[in-house]
Amino acid sequence: MKCLLLTAALLLLLTGCKLSEITPDQVGMISRSLENIGSAARPMSDQEEYYVGRAVSARLLSSYRQLKDPALTSYINLVGQSVALQSERPVTFGGYHFAILDSPELNAFAAPGGMIFVTRGMLATIKSEDELAAVLAHEVGHVVKRHGIAAIQSSRWSEALTVIGSDAAKTFGGSDVAKLAKLFDGSIDDVFKTLVVNGYGRSQEEEADGAALGLLVRAGYDPAALEGYLQRLAAAGKSSSGGMLSTHPGTDERIQHVREKMPTASVNKSFQQARTSRFLSAMR
Amino acid sequence: MKTFILITYLLCVAVTFAHAENVRVTVKENTIRGDCRFYAPVKLRVRAGDMLTVIGKSGDWYRVSFKGVSGCIHRGAVESRTYAVTGSGGRQGGASRDEVSLAGKGFNPEVEKSYRSSNPTLDFSAVDSLEKITVDEGQLRNFIDKGGLNLP
Repeated sequence: MKCLLLTAALLLLLTGCKLSEITPDQVGMISRSLENIGSAARPMSDQEEYYVGRAVSARLLSSYRQLKDPALTSYINLVGQSVALQSERPVTFGGYHFAILDSPELNAFAAPGGMIFVTRGMLATIKSEDELAAVLAHEVGHVVKRHGIAAIQSSRWSEALTVIGSDAAKTFGGSDVAKLAKLFDGSIDDVFKTLVVNGYGRSQEEEADGAALGLLVRAGYDPAALEGYLQRLAAAGKSSSGGMLSTHPGTDERIQHVREKMPTASVNKSFQQARTSRFLSAMR
Repeated sequence: MKTFILITYLLCVAVTFAHAENVRVTVKENTIRGDCRFYAPVKLRVRAGDMLTVIGKSGDWYRVSFKGVSGCIHRGAVESRTYAVTGSGGRQGGASRDEVSLAGKGFNPEVEKSYRSSNPTLDFSAVDSLEKITVDEGQLRNFIDKGGLNLP
């Protein structure tokens, strides 16, 4: 704010305006306009991302039924939180929540803001807690990198910011809400199509894998579990139709990328076995 | 002369603004902890919009005080934006009306409500239920310890 006021004053001086002729109201108007210019370039806030994530989750839960298994859901949340808290973004507006979708598809989704879904079919291909942590860490990586939000057309967000930053709209009128709701609807479509239909681009998948490797090491899981799981996923995909493998065609490339980026980590085998035991127990 | 007075005034305002830093809680809810680490004892719960006075910084954590309680909060839970504590505009540690107005706009509960009314088949109650899934800190710490994992 102080910078904007000083900038405004300096600009006026440079352009030859007489400051003595400017009223306090005009100074206020200039500063508000400058604030609005600043807001027009702002990224989506955590709170806005949260509302997008809620609507995307509602869309997902309309396409997939949620598996109601409190014990398994609780276990998945413990694993998920263990890796999410190690991320560059351990805190989001609404927090991280992990849920299971009752679908035989091999798939996992990260809604913007931290709501993460994994299918029953995918869980069935996972053989250990470290592999589960790898899958969840990959999804957390998408949240940390805000890949879901990046799927929203930039023109849509620019238009939303024009409504949000409108100096004329001192109060949030009904027409503003209607305009924003329409833009919100389009944004949800953008994210949902990317998550469910088209999938993320190869660079985003690799970015999420890179983030996952770091999270696994920091959390104390074996980062090699990610490569092991991707190999199983590729093999399972050859006999699967639909789901992640139809939207993530580059599994072989991902395996190669993960192999190249694999960090060194010392893994305590006895603890790893204990983790696998509790995983198998939770999956029963 | 009037120009000089106005510029001097603006500089004075800038100096006044610079000496106190507050941060606003930008997540739904979070905690002020006794130490600057996760799992440190919780001293106070804070909610979105609460304005905390910054005492210092320690890595990814802010040392803050709020309602007479001092402690730490993770930087991810607060907006690192400076507000005036004192000033001629009567801004007593809060955002201006315009700032609140702009922050309250955007994709917010009102927009979600409108979206829900145009998409009545979407199951937001399931989303609400998912958000209620929380992990007890003690349980998580025990899970991490037993699995030979690392505390954040």
